[in-house]
Amino acid sequence: MKRVIFVFIFILMLPVAAQASFSGLHGFIENDIGIKLSDDTTKRDNYNMFEQRLQLKTNYYAQGENVWARKSTVINFRGDFTVDEYYGGKTDFELRELNLSLSPFRWMDLKLGRQVLTWGTGDYLFINDMFPKDYESFFIGRDDEYLKKPSDAIKASFYPKLANIDFIVIPYFTPNTIATGDRLSFFDSFQGGIAGTNSDRQIISPPFQMSNNEYTLRAYRNFGSNEVAFYYFHGFDKNPRSYKDEAHRQLYYEPVDVYGASLQGPFAKGIGNVEFGYIRSRDDANGTNRTVENSWLKLMTGYSKDLGNDLKIGFQYLVEERLNQGAYDDNLMPSDYRWDEFRHLVTNRITKLFKNQTVNVTLFTFYSPSDKDGYVRPSVSYDVTDQWKVTIGANLPWGEDDQTEFGQMKHNKNVYLRVKYSF
Amino acid sequence: MKRFSLAIFMFLIFVSSGFAQSVEEIVKKANLVAYYAGNSGQSDVVMTITDSQGRQRTREFRILRLNVKEGAEQKFYVYFKRPTDVERMVYMVWKNIGKDDDRWLYLPALDLVKRIAASDKRSSFAGSHFVYEDVSGRGVTADTHELLGEEGNLYKLKNTPKEAKGVDFAYYFVWIDKGNFLPMKAEYYNASGKLLRTVEALDVKDVQGHPTAMKSKAVDIERKGETIIDFTNVVYDAGLDDSIFTERYLRQPPTQWIK
Repeated sequence: MKRVIFVFIFILMLPVAAQASFSGLHGFIENDIGIKLSDDTTKRDNYNMFEQRLQLKTNYYAQGENVWARKSTVINFRGDFTVDEYYGGKTDFELRELNLSLSPFRWMDLKLGRQVLTWGTGDYLFINDMFPKDYESFFIGRDDEYLKKPSDAIKASFYPKLANIDFIVIPYFTPNTIATGDRLSFFDSFQGGIAGTNSDRQIISPPFQMSNNEYTLRAYRNFGSNEVAFYYFHGFDKNPRSYKDEAHRQLYYEPVDVYGASLQGPFAKGIGNVEFGYIRSRDDANGTNRTVENSWLKLMTGYSKDLGNDLKIGFQYLVEERLNQGAYDDNLMPSDYRWDEFRHLVTNRITKLFKNQTVNVTLFTFYSPSDKDGYVRPSVSYDVTDQWKVTIGANLPWGEDDQTEFGQMKHNKNVYLRVKYSF
Repeated sequence: MKRFSLAIFMFLIFVSSGFAQSVEEIVKKANLVAYYAGNSGQSDVVMTITDSQGRQRTREFRILRLNVKEGAEQKFYVYFKRPTDVERMVYMVWKNIGKDDDRWLYLPALDLVKRIAASDKRSSFAGSHFVYEDVSGRGVTADTHELLGEEGNLYKLKNTPKEAKGVDFAYYFVWIDKGNFLPMKAEYYNASGKLLRTVEALDVKDVQGHPTAMKSKAVDIERKGETIIDFTNVVYDAGLDDSIFTERYLRQPPTQWIK
């Protein structure tokens, strides 16, 4: 069925491509290697990233006196060919973007097909952005671009006077890519601790059917320099946080609704933002089912400032509260792991550019005083020429406990090197 | 004799009033000519950046500009075409008067619209030797202006920042064309009188009645290195409207304006 949708979109694209101006084929070739600094029981002990990547991208702009050109139609393509030495030189192709974008009316835009979607106000923190992410890429040190996974979606944007509205339908569920034990070790409750290749849990995705479509909406507008947005999401958690069948070690993505809002604008000589979300767990709205994740309330606030001389800093604070903690506690079994009601997280970003902005030194730090864990991400990149770029960096998660968000990742510390040639 | 002296008197008044075209008047006109030509403007831009070791980089982009209020608020939309790693990136500025500008960056690979904190107007524009203020204009009230005299066809002005904080120079000279009021050259000095940086118009053409710098050069004398900007396809008043300068067109570039 998924294939059928693609064929349909492809057919839709044909008449556009027939009379289009071609932006040329561009992209990059890169080599990534990430050396592991700590031992665990994943597939390999010496490295957790070793791959070559060729990305190709192009755009077709419809031209001439046809309806496609009048509606500003563009076909966007971006795809990655990879050779992954981690899996013995396995080759793969990842289609990151293949979509048709057009403006059927002055007050409406459409984007159909595979696309990367992002919204919200956080920096590496997401409350109302329920689009899929690749945390494996994030923790092994691939480029930030790969933190976001594409969705197969229909996006319609409306621009009436009152507010701008984005409405997105995602017929085919895409989950987050998270640690599975193969490449990254993580806390597996079935194994009773941090697990590697011994993890044998099963994750069940929602089947492809109409009733499992995801819908999400954002309404936003500017008031002077401030932007206010409201969000709604109806779909599934992107991480498998609930048990489908404990005896068979099955997890699933519990259905959730998210209601949220954000405000962003100039504040104290910088940019301030506030965002909150109420995540309602549809299968466990009152919190009494111990196998299904409870509902949550999340709030974050951030501030970033330009200190001059290409030095920028940013701070964020996030608090998450599990709702119905009483019901959760009452229904836990003695053998269950218990998670706290509140999680507090602070982050800091410092970026300094040198040498005509060709050298970028960034330090991003997560720290949770409640979980007693954190994650330090330093990186230095250098644009040697317009074509060549070299990046070195490190991923240093740590934690006192094994079951916290960053604590469970503590055996995945690495330093990485990336050499990239763009064309 | 009486008549003759009257004539001389009249002549003197004429000359001095011409000469004493008030310095504020000159600055105001120069600001309008350099940054506000037409109600809107568009151009293709190629920036060639040469660093202190002679290595060259280029940045290619399309720039769209709309005057919200002449001599005051403006909106800019900068759509990057080269190099490849910034292709389709968009940088948008709402230039404000009396408060910080609003700036946004759109990163296409992440579909991310990022609000950027931007109080520093003296930082490099896109890694070049031009600073933001060279591109969008320095507030006419930010400096005290002094007309030093005339050099050929140019007025020479000395400008001293009222607020020394956050500025990388102590004062600067500007040479302004007496005929069309286009600033032709600027030299920035530090407190001890050492030349730090120059910005110069190398080629001026008349486009739709507006004197337009088609080629400009910024030289960093202190740290070495220079940037040349070439403008092509300059068009004024092509019918750009306010709606282009919104998040809608950050995410979905306005095809008719960026081709």
